[in-house]
Amino acid sequence: MSREKLSRRAFLKLAAASGSGVALAGLGPLSSIASAQDSVELTFGRHWEAAFRPRQAEYDEGFMERHPNISINITYNTWADHNNVVPAWAAAGTLPDIIYVHGSRVVPWAHEGIIIDIHDIVTPDEEFDVDNMWEESLRLYRINGRLHALPYDHGPLILGYNVDMFDAAGMDYPNEEWTMDDLREAAIALSKPDEFQWGWSGELDLGNGGSDFFLGAWGGRKMSDDETEMILDSPESREALNFWYSLIHEENAGPSATEAEGFGDNPWQNGRCGMAVVPTWETPSLRAFASFNWDVAPTPMGADGTRRTGAFGSGYGITPTSGQPDVAWTYLREYLSNEGMIFMWSLSGRGSPARPEALEVWFTSDPAPPSAHYYRDAMFDYAVTGRPYETIAGAQVSDVLSREAELLRLGETTVDGAIAAIMEEGQAALDSVAEDM
Amino acid sequence: MLRRLIRPISPSARREERIFYLFILPWLIGLVVFNAGPILGILGLSFTDWRISFQGLNFVGLENYRTLFADETFWVSVGNTLYITVGRVVLGTIFALFLAILLNQKVPGIPFFRAVYYLPSVTAGVAVALVWIWIFNPQVGILNHSLRLLGIKGPTWIHSTVWVKPSLIIMSIFTVGPNMIILLAGLQGIPKELYEAAEIDGAGAWEKFANVTLPMLSPVLFFVIIISVAASFQNFTEIRVMTQGGPGESSNVLVWYLWENAFVYFQMGVASAVAWIIFLLLMGLTGIQFRLGRRWVFYEV
Repeated sequence: MSREKLSRRAFLKLAAASGSGVALAGLGPLSSIASAQDSVELTFGRHWEAAFRPRQAEYDEGFMERHPNISINITYNTWADHNNVVPAWAAAGTLPDIIYVHGSRVVPWAHEGIIIDIHDIVTPDEEFDVDNMWEESLRLYRINGRLHALPYDHGPLILGYNVDMFDAAGMDYPNEEWTMDDLREAAIALSKPDEFQWGWSGELDLGNGGSDFFLGAWGGRKMSDDETEMILDSPESREALNFWYSLIHEENAGPSATEAEGFGDNPWQNGRCGMAVVPTWETPSLRAFASFNWDVAPTPMGADGTRRTGAFGSGYGITPTSGQPDVAWTYLREYLSNEGMIFMWSLSGRGSPARPEALEVWFTSDPAPPSAHYYRDAMFDYAVTGRPYETIAGAQVSDVLSREAELLRLGETTVDGAIAAIMEEGQAALDSVAEDM
Repeated sequence: MLRRLIRPISPSARREERIFYLFILPWLIGLVVFNAGPILGILGLSFTDWRISFQGLNFVGLENYRTLFADETFWVSVGNTLYITVGRVVLGTIFALFLAILLNQKVPGIPFFRAVYYLPSVTAGVAVALVWIWIFNPQVGILNHSLRLLGIKGPTWIHSTVWVKPSLIIMSIFTVGPNMIILLAGLQGIPKELYEAAEIDGAGAWEKFANVTLPMLSPVLFFVIIISVAASFQNFTEIRVMTQGGPGESSNVLVWYLWENAFVYFQMGVASAVAWIIFLLLMGLTGIQFRLGRRWVFYEV
């Protein structure tokens, strides 16, 4: 990663290069909002891991150069803790100005008054192009049609494969014509459990985004579109889960949970698996840690040609205790602009920026796989934002889903047992908040 | 008559009493402000629908308690808590006593062994938990590797709904350092004359242990059991780092259930009720132990 902070000059260069720079050249009326004020401090609650913080620092140095009256103070949480630390801050009345918001937390956090409605801040700003963000990503942040946060990243989950393993087996790589049956055949052919090699990674993600990879090919879904009903007990969903279950527990084409533990719970990244679900946001760590050649392919279709996968992402919101939402917006409008995303997520190789133009730039970065354009195709053609994200019972429903997925992976429940538990407990969670929605 | 019952207090005794209260004042203030105050505050909040913001707080009576008692997961967490507590306290106390007796011997290198056995207790809980994740690793963990050498196929430990609670109990046994030190101090406080008298009466090692050591150590054992039960109820770090209440709900203990309600589901009122139930359960268990203690705890007069 080059040591290149986004100075005013660099920012303008990026803006001009991306074709939208003219309007940003003067940094518009909002730059004057900030400059008209005395020195102010913007506080943040973020979760970047240590390796990515220098990039953030570079961006912030550039921002403070462009806005000398604004200083930045960041509190970094771990990814595992952020979603619990923020509510604790809220309860204590110590929220920072701007917080990272996982897409699944927007509705519950808005409901609890942790983030504010920013619709009337964002939409009058003609220089900020909301329409240029993925529509699927904006779904997460709109509540009754009003924006409560804005996305910084959003990406789909498609098929990743170990090129070296396919080459060694003399097999053709996954392609656009692949169906789930092809995936199954290849997974079985590549598996040599005695040598700790499996064709499929074995993971079962029933959470946001992940579940649609399998369910979608059969036309199955977890929840109704208004998120008031669990509908996982359809024949389509059952067939999809049975497909996964037999792949792992009958065909031994994927490592069991205990076998996966032997490889740091990530046998795919350790080169032990031929294929896996690979979201855009995992590509930098694959590039950094995988010691094999890999690439991506479209999510395989179902038998009837149906192709669907999940997509998900995260964003930023402004808190009610900020007291300076205009200053917070001065930051976010640049940070989440096309240029900001290109600097933070495209050129850095981080991946999955929430704007199509920035994604195109990411294709040229080192961590992007050779066929990275399949991510764009998925976003344009068949990726849907994974539920739950519209109910305030999302955390409860997700807990039930992940618990049953874990038990299925361990072989400690059956597909029918898992579906029954999810239907009963998931529906009870949805019903319990029906009055509050 | 009353005058004869109340002993006159001398000026020096009064001064000593004032100094006594002065010295315990910081602790008393801390107890009231940081313990008793929040405990009572949480009791009040457990009768409200408090979520995150205090705005729109409503009194809901016993609704939160009714919600809890109707929730199957709550009862699972109560069962898990009691299971783990019984295992931790029984095995932990036995192991701590065993170690204390070993480390009470007059053999070379005892200070080194005392330090070794105390070490896990001064190591950060998260670090200990991370080490144990690898020890319990079914494939490459040292535990299953050792069992394989003996021809035994080890279980999947924290990845099994059956074995996760025993795993947590086994792990806790290796952090008995503080209890070991307390028991060691207790052992060293037993007068040697009692053992000599027992030997003159022809007592063997077991008789001396059963009739001298255990009765003389019983007040210390009682204390160790009381604090071990309280510590087990409050144990959060291992669950957070190692199991997150799983697999399934097999390690979902009360403090984890409380935390999820508070910081994942934002049901602070319900979480407050859970906190009070934990408090009442602990008080109840401590009361039972004091009552049972009358039968087996021997106080030297």
